[in-house]
Amino acid sequence: MLGTDKASLPVAADATEFDRRRFLDALLTVGFVSTAAAIAYPVGRYLVPPASGEAATESVVAARVKTLRPNSAAIFKFGSKPGIVVRTADGEVRAFSAVCSHLDCTVQFKSDTSQLWCACHNGTYDLGGNVVSGPPPRGLEKFIVNLRGEGDDAEIVVSRA
Amino acid sequence: MNVIDWVDERLDLTEVRHFVAEKGVPVHAQKIWYYLGGMTLFLFGVQVFTGILLLLYYRPSAAEAYESVQFIVTQVQFGWLIRNVHSWSANLLIGLAFAHFFSVFFLKSYRKPRELTWVSGMLLLFLMLGFGFSGYLLPWNELSFFATKVGTGIAGAVPVIGHFSLRLLRSGDDVTGATLSRFYGLHVAVLPAIASALVALHLLFVQRQGMSVPPAVEKRLKPGERLPQMPFFPNYILRDVLAWYVVIAVLAALAAFYPWELGTKADPFAVVPPGIRPEWYFLAMFHTLKLVPSHVLGIEGERLGVVVFGIAALFLVLVPFVDRRASRGESSRFFTVLAAAGLIYLVTFTIIGHYAK
Amino acid sequence: MQPTNRVQPGDRAPRTAVRQKVLALAIGLFVLVGSRASAAQETPPRGNSCVSCHSTQLDQRLVNPTRLFGGQDVHREKGFECVDCHGGSPASPDKASAHDASGRIAAMAFRGKPAGQALIATCARCHSDAELMRSYAPKQRVDQATEYAASVHGKRLAAGDTKVATCASCHGAHGIRLVSDARSPVFPTNVAGTCATCHADEKRMAGYTLADGSPLPTHQFNDYRTSIHYNALTKGNDLAAPTCNDCHGNHGAAPPNVGAVANVCGTCHAVFAQKFAASVHQPIFDKGCVECHNNHAVVKPSDQMLSAAAPGVCQPCHNGDDKTDKGAAAAGGMRAGMERLKDEIDRSGALLAGLQNAGIAVSDQQLALREAGSKLTLARTEMHGFDPALVAPILGDGMKIVAAVDRAGQAGRAELSFRRRGLFLSLGAILIFVVALGLKVRQIDRRDHERQAPSATV
Repeated sequence: MLGTDKASLPVAADATEFDRRRFLDALLTVGFVSTAAAIAYPVGRYLVPPASGEAATESVVAARVKTLRPNSAAIFKFGSKPGIVVRTADGEVRAFSAVCSHLDCTVQFKSDTSQLWCACHNGTYDLGGNVVSGPPPRGLEKFIVNLRGEGDDAEIVVSRA
Repeated sequence: MNVIDWVDERLDLTEVRHFVAEKGVPVHAQKIWYYLGGMTLFLFGVQVFTGILLLLYYRPSAAEAYESVQFIVTQVQFGWLIRNVHSWSANLLIGLAFAHFFSVFFLKSYRKPRELTWVSGMLLLFLMLGFGFSGYLLPWNELSFFATKVGTGIAGAVPVIGHFSLRLLRSGDDVTGATLSRFYGLHVAVLPAIASALVALHLLFVQRQGMSVPPAVEKRLKPGERLPQMPFFPNYILRDVLAWYVVIAVLAALAAFYPWELGTKADPFAVVPPGIRPEWYFLAMFHTLKLVPSHVLGIEGERLGVVVFGIAALFLVLVPFVDRRASRGESSRFFTVLAAAGLIYLVTFTIIGHYAK
Repeated sequence: MQPTNRVQPGDRAPRTAVRQKVLALAIGLFVLVGSRASAAQETPPRGNSCVSCHSTQLDQRLVNPTRLFGGQDVHREKGFECVDCHGGSPASPDKASAHDASGRIAAMAFRGKPAGQALIATCARCHSDAELMRSYAPKQRVDQATEYAASVHGKRLAAGDTKVATCASCHGAHGIRLVSDARSPVFPTNVAGTCATCHADEKRMAGYTLADGSPLPTHQFNDYRTSIHYNALTKGNDLAAPTCNDCHGNHGAAPPNVGAVANVCGTCHAVFAQKFAASVHQPIFDKGCVECHNNHAVVKPSDQMLSAAAPGVCQPCHNGDDKTDKGAAAAGGMRAGMERLKDEIDRSGALLAGLQNAGIAVSDQQLALREAGSKLTLARTEMHGFDPALVAPILGDGMKIVAAVDRAGQAGRAELSFRRRGLFLSLGAILIFVVALGLKVRQIDRRDHERQAPSATV
């Protein structure tokens, strides 16, 4: 075509053609593998269950029994609102919503009176969730407590009533 | 011995080999439209795949549906990707299905001997709309709840069987958790079963009869001349795969840059949000119904509108049997105009419906 | 001989007689049943000559007591009778002996309708007797009469004013219900209406004055009905919310002394009273809490109140235009801080909601943001010490929490960008593949074409 040796041209053309084909096939393989990986990787990760287990609408693990000494309490997250899990002096575990019914502050446990107390305006609740004194108009929402596991290692599972 | 030979020894793949070797796709100026069907099929596959993945975490109850979608999107690894791909792919699927429908309508591919392909295709189009409607409720957010309320209410306007259909759809008189369960069952079991059967039929017809050539192209052929053919394997199939990958890219970009909203959880006792309207693929029909006066010649406007749409749908399904001229191979200008009018109507009213208050 | 079954003149009499007998029987039955039904008595009082005489009187004023006492009445249900308060003889059929005032026929001399001091004495005869009350209601107090004597009502009654309230004015005399009965005039939700029967009546209150000589106001009930306390009591089902007797006293009813207002409010609003007691306003305010919050029309407070310009309550003592007025400046500063924190909380909350909508998990941050809301509540409490130096740290804590939540929000947005970047990479891979595929397709086409028409160069 360009004045080169006709005998040698087809061979050279074939060789470059072959190389080009090899390169293209290689590129294709790389492309296919990478796109397949880009699809398979998310799908694979998706199938692995997340740490939080399930949508925390109905129930949640509040704490482990061993982290709660008698006559103490801990705040936990239930959905996007705080809850409080209390271990009474005789070892029983109870759970309430920690949202004070007065102005939505978070209540805390007072171990000297064994009552739930709201720091904002001095509202006090007993360990049944009932208002003892102060401005709260209603008691604290009570949750159902179940223990999953044995003895001190048991998980405290809190569910909505 | 390779795998194919191993299978051949046992199942006799002669016919398959023959088919693969011989199947061709006609090459002409309008062949670009051939890809739409394959793209629609691909997106249907994407929907089934991502749908099954979503199934693993979704909970179809009024109390948990919204939270489970929130869970998928925020807690599950790449859940946001799967959910967004599913939502966007649904819209693209319906869009492509309509494009495929219009291209077949304009190019008269429905004419004899492909009438059954058309009928199965029309039914598939309606099924896809059903998929969209039933799936839209599943996230159980405010918009989907009220859109379903309005949509099923329109179904109630059908004469004679309207109220019965409404109760059947809603699984009761109102949209409740029972509706959610029913829509879920429809969306993941009933509709997929019917759709799979129809897709199989549709593909069987297409494979058996080959691709239709537009009348205009056919006319230009000299007697005895055959259109050049492109081998189905690998030429056409690779192009098909190319188109599919472009679709994947579009989906991925949409999922990343325009994530589908969670919305607020549905509250059946809340006031209907102003300007509530269905998804874009129902917008033209919805807006038309809104424009119909409340009473026309003594008949309730909405009822009349629904009946007219029903008749139009039936007519569309029967187009191959009505368009005699196309069946005979003659030019059928009337149906081309009809298709154009339909397209203009749909596009215009969708746009108007979108911007209407 | 005439047939015996034919109607004869004179036959009418027997038939009429029968009809009359039936009619009389019917009327008798009717009266019997009717009297039973209308009385609705569970246990008819034993000495029922009072009832049998009074219930047949024409004057309704004489009939009503028997009707009411025969209905739901706590005294009758405990076994008491008319004579236990009124005296007289329950068995005597005639008025003179029934109304025996000498005490010769009856165990207790008839005293008619007690009024004024006599009424107090009638009730106190039992209700101030601790031993007697112990057998009926051991927890019930027995000092009501003593309290009453110390009240404005009691003092005026002792001075001869018969218009004032006595036991029966609030509790009723017949048909008395327990205080815990929702239909009792002294059930918490009914107390204000009972007091208002007199105290909202301008004609009745005419002639009475406050300590400073100004006429006794009668708008308290209307004011109270606009208050948050009334709202909590009637709509919020909070029976602990205050009504008239919670601040003014029950039987010892008297307005709290001017100096005692803060103590009264502080019974429930203890924290605010504490802060106020330590503040600069405590010695200055004559009327304590009422200076800013009104006494009866206590409405829900808002940040708008904290200002020396209307509608703030700091004026007219403080002048917002006076740059040297430290109080006005303090109020302005505290209010600005609180409003800023509130705005920041709202803004941060909206940001989190947006992130959640886009698919980022934000419930931890939402939980933390609530603590900022608590700080705002605490700041509003601390404000009652009227010292910006005390309020500022709390507001500062709140702002710190919001800042921390914002930082977490930034992390959320970073996650979103990370996702987009990841997607770009995938798009890159897809692009490579698409280009390669396109080239491959062209290559295959060319190969097919050459196969059909091999290159002439070979």
